[in-house]
Amino acid sequence: MKTFLAVFVILLLGCTPGWAVLGEYENSVASDQQHMHAQLREVAGQGYSIKQLALADGRTVKEYVSPAGLVFGISWQGPTMPDLRQVLGSYFAQFQQSNQARRRRGGPLVVETKDFVLVSGGHMRSYHGVAYVPSLLPANVPAEVVQ
Amino acid sequence: MKPHLGWHNQYALYALVAAVSLALAGCGGGSGSSSNPAPSTINNTQAVAVNSGPANNYINGLFTDVTICVPGSTSNCQTISNVLVDTGSEGLRLLSSQVTLSLPPVIDNSSNGLQECVGFADGSYVWGPVVGADIQMAGEKASSVPMQLISSSSTYAVPSQCTSGGGPNENTVQLLGANGILGIGNFQQDCGAACTSASTAPPLYYLCPNSVCGLALVPLNFQLQNPVWMFPQDNNGVLISLPSILAGGAPAASGSLIFGIGTQSDNALGSAQVYTTDASGNFQTTYNNIAYSQSYIDSGSNAFYFLDHATLGIPDCSDAPGFYCPGSTVNYTVTNTGQNGTTGPVSFSIANADSLFNSNGGANWAFNNLGGDTGTSPSTDSVDFGLPFFFGRNVFVGIENETGPNGVVGPYWAY
Repeated sequence: MKTFLAVFVILLLGCTPGWAVLGEYENSVASDQQHMHAQLREVAGQGYSIKQLALADGRTVKEYVSPAGLVFGISWQGPTMPDLRQVLGSYFAQFQQSNQARRRRGGPLVVETKDFVLVSGGHMRSYHGVAYVPSLLPANVPAEVVQ
Repeated sequence: MKPHLGWHNQYALYALVAAVSLALAGCGGGSGSSSNPAPSTINNTQAVAVNSGPANNYINGLFTDVTICVPGSTSNCQTISNVLVDTGSEGLRLLSSQVTLSLPPVIDNSSNGLQECVGFADGSYVWGPVVGADIQMAGEKASSVPMQLISSSSTYAVPSQCTSGGGPNENTVQLLGANGILGIGNFQQDCGAACTSASTAPPLYYLCPNSVCGLALVPLNFQLQNPVWMFPQDNNGVLISLPSILAGGAPAASGSLIFGIGTQSDNALGSAQVYTTDASGNFQTTYNNIAYSQSYIDSGSNAFYFLDHATLGIPDCSDAPGFYCPGSTVNYTVTNTGQNGTTGPVSFSIANADSLFNSNGGANWAFNNLGGDTGTSPSTDSVDFGLPFFFGRNVFVGIENETGPNGVVGPYWAY
C-alpha cells in the first residue's frame, strides 16, 4: 500500500531571508521585516536599542544597535539554527577559522577571538546563541546585555 | 512503482508553490503505534557502550548497534555498529558509506527524493536523502521508518542555508566519530508540526526538482521518526542505564538502552523523579540563584557544559580548549525544576580535563567529571547535562504524546 499526502514545496528562488548584519548599520532592519513577514518589536535599553524580529517559524533574532546605528550584537533562538553566514556578515569567515575545536562533541560552540565572541548552544528543536563585537560595544554598555 | 500524479503549480509572491505528494516508494507510509500497548515480555534491552568509537577519536561517546532492513524484508538486512546514541535529536541518520542495502527513497509525485539538512548547535551539519527502513534493536522492530542517509558525495549541491553554521559536513567516520546517529530524544519527529506549514517551516527538508533545491513541507509521517515510538510495544520512551565509573575515568563502559517506561519489569520508574519539559524539550536549572531556563539532558554532548570560567572561577585548559582545568576537582550542586513543578538537586564534579585525558597513559575515553564551558560571560541560558550525567544513573526519556507511569505524558525526563 502506498500512502499519498498533499504537501507543498516552496522554492526559495532569490529569496534568502535577510537580517541586519553584525558590525553593519541597522538600516536594513525594516526591509528585512517586510521581506520575512516578521514581527518587529523595538525595545530601548540603557545606551542602546534592541530590534527583535520574530519569524513565523518560531525563530527570533534580536539585534543590538548602538546610538550610532551599528549592530554590535546579535542573539537568536528557535527550532533551527539561524543563517550565521547572513547575520555574521564579514565576521563569518573569522568565525569559520576559529570553529575547529573537535574534542568537544555535540555540545555548545564557543568561539572567542580578540574582537569577536560567539556562543551557540541547544539541541534539535531548540537552539540559541549570541554573537558580539567587543570593540563595537557602546560606551558603558557591558557585553552581558546581548542575550 | 513510483507515483506520477503530476505537478500543480501556482505562483506566490516570492515562491513557486507546488502541490505534490510524498510517498515512501515500495512500501507503506510510516504509521504510528498505539500508546496503550498490551503488556510485553519481548526482549527490550539493547547493549550500549561508551568508548572511543569507530574512528578512535570520541571522548564520552555512547554507541550501539542498529539493524536496518529493506521495508518488509526479514532477510535483506544490515547491522550497523557504532551508532551514536543521542537523546538530543530525533531520527536515525547513517553514513551512506556504511550502508550497503538499497533502501527506498521518500519521493514526491514527480519522483524527486526528499532531502534533509540538519545543522547542529556546534555549527556542523549533515545532508542527504530520506529513505525508508525497518529498524530493529533488541527484540523491537519499527516498520517503514523514514531515516536519513548522510551523503558522502552529494547528488545535489548542498544548499547554502545548510552550510551557514560554519562547521564541517560530518559525512565521514572520521569527522562524525561514529557510523551514524540514533536520535531518541523527547519528540516523535525531528521537526514536527512546524514542517507541515508554509508559514512555519524552518530550513530542514528540501526537494530538488531540476537539481534546484527548495524548502519542502513534509507531513509528520514522512519526517524522520524517533524509531522508539513506532515500536508496537515498549514505545513510550527509553531508559538509559550506565554504570558508575571511577573519577579518573575508564577506557570503556557498558550499559543498557531499555525500551519502554513502566512497560516491563526492567523499566519501572522506581525512585526516579519525573521532570516534564517545555514544548522545546527544556527545563530549568538554577545555580547560585540564577535560573537557566533552557537546560537539557543530552547523551550526545560529551561533557557537562556548564556556565563559563569567569562565572565559576576555574580556568579553561590551555591545550584542550573549551574544557575546564581546575587545579583540583570542584563539586557543584544545581537544582533542576520541571514544568510540572518537580524540583531536585543534581550534584556533579568537574575535574581537570588535561589530567583526565592523560590518565592511564591516555587510554581512558569515559569520564563522569568532564566539564566544558558554554561561553564567556555572559553564558547562554542553558546548562547542558551531557553524557557524564548518565554514569551511575537510570535516566528515562519520555516521548511527547506518549503516556508513561502514573499518567504522565511526554515530553519528560526522569532520573
